[in-house]
Amino acid sequence: MTGNDDLQRLAGEYVLGTLSLDERTAVEQRLPREPVLRDAINAWEQRLLPLTTLAPPQEPSSQLWPRISASLFTPEKVRQAGGWQAWWNNLAFWRLLAGGGLTAALALAVTLTLQTQGRSGPGYLVVLVAPQDKSPGWIVQAGSRGGRDLSLIPLGATAVPQQKALQFWTKGKDWGAPVSLGLVQPGQTVKMHLDKLPPLQPEQLFEITLEPATGSPTGRPTGPVLYIGRAVKVM
Amino acid sequence: MPIPAATFDYDAALRACARGEQLALHQLYQQESRYLLGVALRIVRQRALAEDVLHDAFLSIWRRAGSFDATRGSGKGWIYVLVRHQALNLMRARAHEITADEDTVESLLQQRQDDGPGESYVLQAEMGRLHDCLGHLEESKRHSILYAYVDGCSHSEIAQRLQAPLGTVKAWVKRGLAALRECMG
Repeated sequence: MTGNDDLQRLAGEYVLGTLSLDERTAVEQRLPREPVLRDAINAWEQRLLPLTTLAPPQEPSSQLWPRISASLFTPEKVRQAGGWQAWWNNLAFWRLLAGGGLTAALALAVTLTLQTQGRSGPGYLVVLVAPQDKSPGWIVQAGSRGGRDLSLIPLGATAVPQQKALQFWTKGKDWGAPVSLGLVQPGQTVKMHLDKLPPLQPEQLFEITLEPATGSPTGRPTGPVLYIGRAVKVM
Repeated sequence: MPIPAATFDYDAALRACARGEQLALHQLYQQESRYLLGVALRIVRQRALAEDVLHDAFLSIWRRAGSFDATRGSGKGWIYVLVRHQALNLMRARAHEITADEDTVESLLQQRQDDGPGESYVLQAEMGRLHDCLGHLEESKRHSILYAYVDGCSHSEIAQRLQAPLGTVKAWVKRGLAALRECMG
């Protein structure tokens, strides 16, 4: 029983919060491999949970939700690197993309294009990531002519169910609703000229949703967001 | 406006988050943020830090909603567990940073005492079995457990609050937990 008692004590103190940082980390590292410890901790969480009602409620400041919302579509590694601009300059970014199926040649091509565009004014870059796991799926780059020439570049193939299609959207900060940029084919680069839209803004939202084969019947996104990202000014 | 906790479907909200529906996360936030902030604030003791904890916890909820398993507990409980551990990790990490400076420790301890003693805990009857079992514990063990869980106190902070030797407090926590487990099953 001693082994079980030790396990129970460890699980109980982990949940209670009295372990040191090193001990906490050690417990968390054991969790994936030790279902017995996981179960013991879960049982303690359930036992002690009613104590959370003892803390008096506190109204969060009005800035908290906007802050959370803004972070949602910024992958953790980007936040840790100090934001998109720093991330763009970070080697890890390219390693991640390379791991995600992008070749170094494409990386070089994008970089060179952006450098060329740098001379004719600011360009914009958007990395569209999957909301769940933040894996990058597409890159949007927009450069010359006030950011109205835009390319959507796939980083890999997107599996599309039968009778469904991918629809590409954008939404500026003060726009009431997203505007459709049309249906796109999985795995294919699309170039477009957005002469009917205002110039691109920093933070402008781009997303790809899953829609019926002929596109959204309402003119607004109706299906789940597969990839999403915000425009970042580069150069 | 939040709707009564009894009718809000936390599990469904988490499943919607797992599908990437941001509205569901916002609804969870509207429903629960003030209570979660209350829990975090008791542990980290500074408002700005508590909001940081909530920020990171909501990102974790969003990211990890897909791993929520309703057979292992309620969705609401899962969220509280996440927030508490976010807060505890932050505090234990900070403990490393401030031990070098005795004045800081002293002022933090002073601040703690001004926060008011744990006598102010009013155990609530709706805590069910836990309420009864805590009631059966000796006062020192009960306070040790409440200081740790609700206020995020380390062993040495509990020792300071209860004016007891560190080794004694460690024993109270250990035996208090064992007794609780026996009582609650």
